[in-house]
Amino acid sequence: MMRRMAERTLAEQLGGPLPEGIEALSEQHKQDLSAALREARHRQSKALAQAGEDSLKYVPALLRGAVRKVVGL
Amino acid sequence: MNPEILKLARALAVEPERLAYLAEVDTRDVRRLREQVTTTLFDANLVVLERMALASKLLPAPVVAKIAEKVFGPLLCARIAGLVDVSRGVDVAKRLSPAFLASVAAELDPRRATAIITRIPVPTVVAVAEELNRREDWITLGRFVDHLPDETVGRCVRLLDDAGLLRTAYLLDDPSRIDHVLGMLGEQRLPRLVRIAAEDETLWPPAIALLSQLSEEHRAVVRPLLADLPADLRKRAESALH
Repeated sequence: MMRRMAERTLAEQLGGPLPEGIEALSEQHKQDLSAALREARHRQSKALAQAGEDSLKYVPALLRGAVRKVVGL
Repeated sequence: MNPEILKLARALAVEPERLAYLAEVDTRDVRRLREQVTTTLFDANLVVLERMALASKLLPAPVVAKIAEKVFGPLLCARIAGLVDVSRGVDVAKRLSPAFLASVAAELDPRRATAIITRIPVPTVVAVAEELNRREDWITLGRFVDHLPDETVGRCVRLLDDAGLLRTAYLLDDPSRIDHVLGMLGEQRLPRLVRIAAEDETLWPPAIALLSQLSEEHRAVVRPLLADLPADLRKRAESALH
């Protein structure tokens, strides 16, 4: 079964091998970097989901349907 | 703190102190990690961002500017900047306040948005640089120096006081560029940088890093000034100039 994002290692999140000096860090520190990256991605995804809906309030009514279609909302 | 740790902390939006354990890691490896992190964050949600960039073409520029400032905010604008049509991006950017653009610049990956950044009118870039200077955001100012054309860089760095210039130079991705930049600033600036460093110990690491990047012509300007430096700084400066 595919592991959830919360369980992915730093290297898995980055999609490739870590630089040597980073690979040599303790597990605890690599996990901290992994958590920091996961948090940053989560914040970004959350902001994006919110922005998609909120943007429509500023789109002229006539164009709303076309914009929804392109964005996939 | 090591400039690469500061830049990685900025990319991850965490306090630099959290990453203090990276102090012993080779700076080049921290930099590689930052590049990987930046790529990962910019490529995450790419499909949605591309659709949004496409949708923005359907709207008048003033509407896009309003959505950018009121809904998207600096982080998402920075993510989308490299995906929008260049002339459209420039048109929208011209309608945004320097304060907002400064916040976008702080989140930007300049490698992905060079086409837009270099076409934003110089007075706007200078206004953004003024704002970044006021915020003491040396990391972002460093990116300006790394990626903007000479004429714009010259105007932006003239805004900085000597301490600000040293701190910005310390954070350049391409430290060797500082010697070229100093060449644009007149003969008096380099001696002033050395003197200001002597007065403030927190400026010693940036000053030493700068001295190690100087051309022989600029080293010759600095050597006569070494005698007036505090002994510890003089020793490190002599070593950097060798």
